[in-house]
Amino acid sequence: MNRGVWVTLGTALGVAGIGGALLYSRRASAAGLPYPAPAPDPGPTPIIELAPLPKASEVAGDLLRNWGDTPSDLRALLMTMEEVSRIEGSSRVFAVIAYRESRFVTAAHNGNAAAEQDERDSSRRAYDNNKGRNPPLKYGEQAANFGSGGLFGALAPYFLWTGVPEVGKKAPLLNAPPELLFQPRAAAFGAAVYMQRLLAHYRVDDLADIKVGWANPGLLGSGRGSATYHDVRARFLADAMTLGIDLTDAATIPPKLDASAWPGVPAVFAGLVGALPKELA
Amino acid sequence: MTDLFCYGPDIEALADLAGDFDLRSPVDTRTWYRQAWETLAEALGFPQQLAAELDRRRGAREWVTTTHEAGMAAFMMRMRQTRPAVTDPQASTQLTVIEQMTSVSRARGELWRVTVDPTTLESGACYEEKDGGLSRAFYPDTTPGYFGEGWPGPPPRAESRCGWETPLVLHFGTFPWVYSSRLDAGGPGLRWISPSLAPALEGFHVVASLLQPEANLQQDARQVVGIYRHFAAQTAPLIARVPGPQGRTVGQLFQRDGLLHVHQGSLHVAGLEGPRGYLPASAFNYIVQRFASFFAVRRATLRALAWAPEMKRLVANTSDPCLRGQVEEVARAG
Repeated sequence: MNRGVWVTLGTALGVAGIGGALLYSRRASAAGLPYPAPAPDPGPTPIIELAPLPKASEVAGDLLRNWGDTPSDLRALLMTMEEVSRIEGSSRVFAVIAYRESRFVTAAHNGNAAAEQDERDSSRRAYDNNKGRNPPLKYGEQAANFGSGGLFGALAPYFLWTGVPEVGKKAPLLNAPPELLFQPRAAAFGAAVYMQRLLAHYRVDDLADIKVGWANPGLLGSGRGSATYHDVRARFLADAMTLGIDLTDAATIPPKLDASAWPGVPAVFAGLVGALPKELA
Repeated sequence: MTDLFCYGPDIEALADLAGDFDLRSPVDTRTWYRQAWETLAEALGFPQQLAAELDRRRGAREWVTTTHEAGMAAFMMRMRQTRPAVTDPQASTQLTVIEQMTSVSRARGELWRVTVDPTTLESGACYEEKDGGLSRAFYPDTTPGYFGEGWPGPPPRAESRCGWETPLVLHFGTFPWVYSSRLDAGGPGLRWISPSLAPALEGFHVVASLLQPEANLQQDARQVVGIYRHFAAQTAPLIARVPGPQGRTVGQLFQRDGLLHVHQGSLHVAGLEGPRGYLPASAFNYIVQRFASFFAVRRATLRALAWAPEMKRLVANTSDPCLRGQVEEVARAG
């Protein structure tokens, strides 16, 4: 992806790298024992084909009201995220996040251009700082060099460690290559888990706080009230307006999202991704 | 022989994109119309509403009319959820102008593209702004574009109160992409909605009616052929740059069977840059499908001339020479 296009995203994603590290460092300190180092040279990365984007007929939720300019062919995916994660009202919030992080381009990539060294630095830092405390990634080095991307702008190492705090070594993406981020169903899985963790483990006062946590969970703690905290909130609210999603429409988005009905990582993975090829499972 | 060859072999191939069906077969007809409407609803963002409306009518017997009614009801629900994009005065003028233009053009058999000298209309195709000034109710779409080479004149016979210097031209056959040179991803016609009025419904009614045999036969297909060939010629160099499905990667735009697709991504954020402006992938597909569906219905109705007397009555006074030829041939065959 050309840096010129993503210059506004880069700032947010650069912050996301630091934030992601904080999120994972919390999990790592709770885990206790270190995991072994990853195996070297896993060979060429396999091409993975997941199921196509969900169709409107596959969701029960409304795809018309209060979606603004969200692409109509992505709404069913966003609604599937809400329905599978049981976080009521989250689909439109995911839409606002995706607007900021990728402009709805599923193959958005920060880190593939020469000028995107900061993104690669972020993913390298994320990997190096956490690889000793998390299960090994089969494609760890590739993830470290990948940067961030996908519909929700995740840093590759954190994306591949999705679910580790909940299911440890059974986390489903440990053997997957970072390019899996571009598959919208996989990106959706990572985003749903991340949203749940923010809601369950951090002080999230309102919808804008979710985006703050997306950028950097640390801003929901000691960073709350800082200039960056307010900047991220303002940008999120402006993005919602630009996109045409009314965050005060209580019929589609409750004032606070609630993850208490979360069905667990395996159920969310099954509902969004299905199954990975057996060599990656 | 009752087919589309009179219009040219490219038109026969175009119709094949939308599939073939036989109006004598209820199953065939039901399947085709359902799929045609589902394609249309997917593109314009109301598939759930269409499914619900079709489900309510699942016991119906006459499927051409039933799908039309269901589709119109579903589109109305879609527009009810759409944010107003124009003021009531602008929508009011739009509504009146569309009604006047389509009424006159329907009689001429030229509903696909309608043109009028705006100064001959009572409103002048103008509306009053909040500050009291007058503005044009539509975009003056007269530069060379994807549907034609532009319509620079003749200039309006009278002086326009709101600055019209060219005819008013609207392409209802591809509604909501009504302008030749302004193909944005959303379709400008979908923004014809105000707090109290929805001129978009009138525009949609025209494009939907062309799927019905009666309105389809009333349309002079020569107009459609001309616009299609211009569109095809303008877009061919752009589409030629798009790879086929082999070896496609995630998020990549590719072409298959005459339409554009994005592998594991949104068609609505993809498009092609061309000398006549940006061509959104979703608009390209929708426009091709409208042309294809029009000729698929035309083909089915031409075949029906041989066995359906009401079809012959419908085309008795047609200005379309191809259609006239088909009727005469059927009459000769007895």
